[in-house]
Amino acid sequence: MVRKNARQAASPLTEWLPALILFLSTLILWEGLVRGLDVPRYILPSPSEIGAVITQRWQDLVRQVAWTMLEAIGGFLLGSILAFLSASLFVHARLIERSMYPWAIVLQTVPIVAIAPLLTIWLGFGTAPKVVIAAIVCFFPVLVNTTRGLRLVSAQALELMQILSASRWQLYIRLRVPSAMPFLFTSLKVAASLSVIGAIVGEFTGADRGIGYVVVSAAYRLDTPLLFAGIVFSSFAAVIFFLLISGIERILLFWPGARIED
Amino acid sequence: MVFPGSPPVIALQDISLTIRDKEFLAIVGPSGCGKSTLLRLVAGLLQPTEGEIVVHSKHPSQAQRDVEFGFVFQDAVLFPWLTALQNVILPVEILGKRSPLPVQEVEGVARQLLADVRLHGFEAHYPEQLSGGMRQRVSLARALVYQPSTLLMDEPFGALDEITRDSLNLLLLEVWEKNRATVIFVTHSISEALFLADRVVVLSPRPGRITTIVDVPLSRPRTFDMRFLPEFTFLAAELRKLLQLPAEVYES
Repeated sequence: MVRKNARQAASPLTEWLPALILFLSTLILWEGLVRGLDVPRYILPSPSEIGAVITQRWQDLVRQVAWTMLEAIGGFLLGSILAFLSASLFVHARLIERSMYPWAIVLQTVPIVAIAPLLTIWLGFGTAPKVVIAAIVCFFPVLVNTTRGLRLVSAQALELMQILSASRWQLYIRLRVPSAMPFLFTSLKVAASLSVIGAIVGEFTGADRGIGYVVVSAAYRLDTPLLFAGIVFSSFAAVIFFLLISGIERILLFWPGARIED
Repeated sequence: MVFPGSPPVIALQDISLTIRDKEFLAIVGPSGCGKSTLLRLVAGLLQPTEGEIVVHSKHPSQAQRDVEFGFVFQDAVLFPWLTALQNVILPVEILGKRSPLPVQEVEGVARQLLADVRLHGFEAHYPEQLSGGMRQRVSLARALVYQPSTLLMDEPFGALDEITRDSLNLLLLEVWEKNRATVIFVTHSISEALFLADRVVVLSPRPGRITTIVDVPLSRPRTFDMRFLPEFTFLAAELRKLLQLPAEVYES
């Protein structure tokens, strides 16, 4: 039986309108307070001042944020692929899991801000350390979730495969990997946001371009409107990245009941 | 059959049973008596601690490699990312060259089987879109698609409501008449066992031993009305008495 939608789907307008109204009224309130109370520009610029900086410098800001996103996506791919391969190895060899898993947890507990300068010393001021930092922050959530997903196969499904004398490869590719897909994508969405943070942290410790560099140098010069513009652009880019992964998830997790609701 | 642990669990003891070719054998017993364990021993999914099992003069694990077994589980165990039809085809794809049914013919056979279990028109549905009874029918079709000589069924309708279960019992017999295989059907329902089977094996509570084996004196094809025949109700009452548990067994 085809399940009917329990909740009547609201039209996009009624769905988004309250959030939009809240956003606009916050902006207006902010603008009014800053002007009315004469708040210094370097403490809190008004939305119109931030908007002016954005319209004036948007081309440069787009270029900077694109650079950051390139580093983030590179790290995201590197970290996620390594995590997926490690998880696949884990479910096939307990010994490898026992020897590696504790160290993966240790790696996770080391604050990334503490490793970033070290990576900059090792890998220089170029792209490499940013990609590596983004990869490190992506690695752990993807590893944990994928391992869980690959493992979470019912005993009866395993018996079914055994009745058919399925090979280990068939078991992996036909049962474990599809079962793990919903878990994988849940973690990829987390990793997408983390990778942007990772790349920006990398840029903080030494870079001559990227949105992290823009933010840091704006802060040194107390150019708060530019700093806010940097925040706006980096958030925007992170949201787009997240939506991109959600879109891919929608395509790949096509079967009903596949997506873990978030 | 002993499962290790502290203390070790003796699941089955002194089981000696010969199953006839193409017969429908039901195994009834209280829960935890080792019915499912017996089925898994036959399928080669478990190795007996002591004793020997022979399937068509082969060791169970060899019979498993020769794809002699179809297994219907308590849950349908359908793959949610495959449609009903793809789920039925799956075993043949996995078996590949070992499949007795050529891969080119599988789609036709699978469609026919789905029609046999009254799921014509639901081929493209995903498991999530099917009811529990429908899923179990897909799983029956999946177990039959590569024409196994022995069909092992582990309380396949146990999770369904009684009305659905009754209609699936009739459907199972109908499908079985078409694809005659040896069936070992595990259930905890006495009337289901009597209605379906040629012989009913009654197991005692743990450690499972064979209490008795009953020949069912009903002709085939079975009809629903046979459940109200005196010999049916008499046998059902006899079996119920045999399965009556002393209170202290419930305690443990």
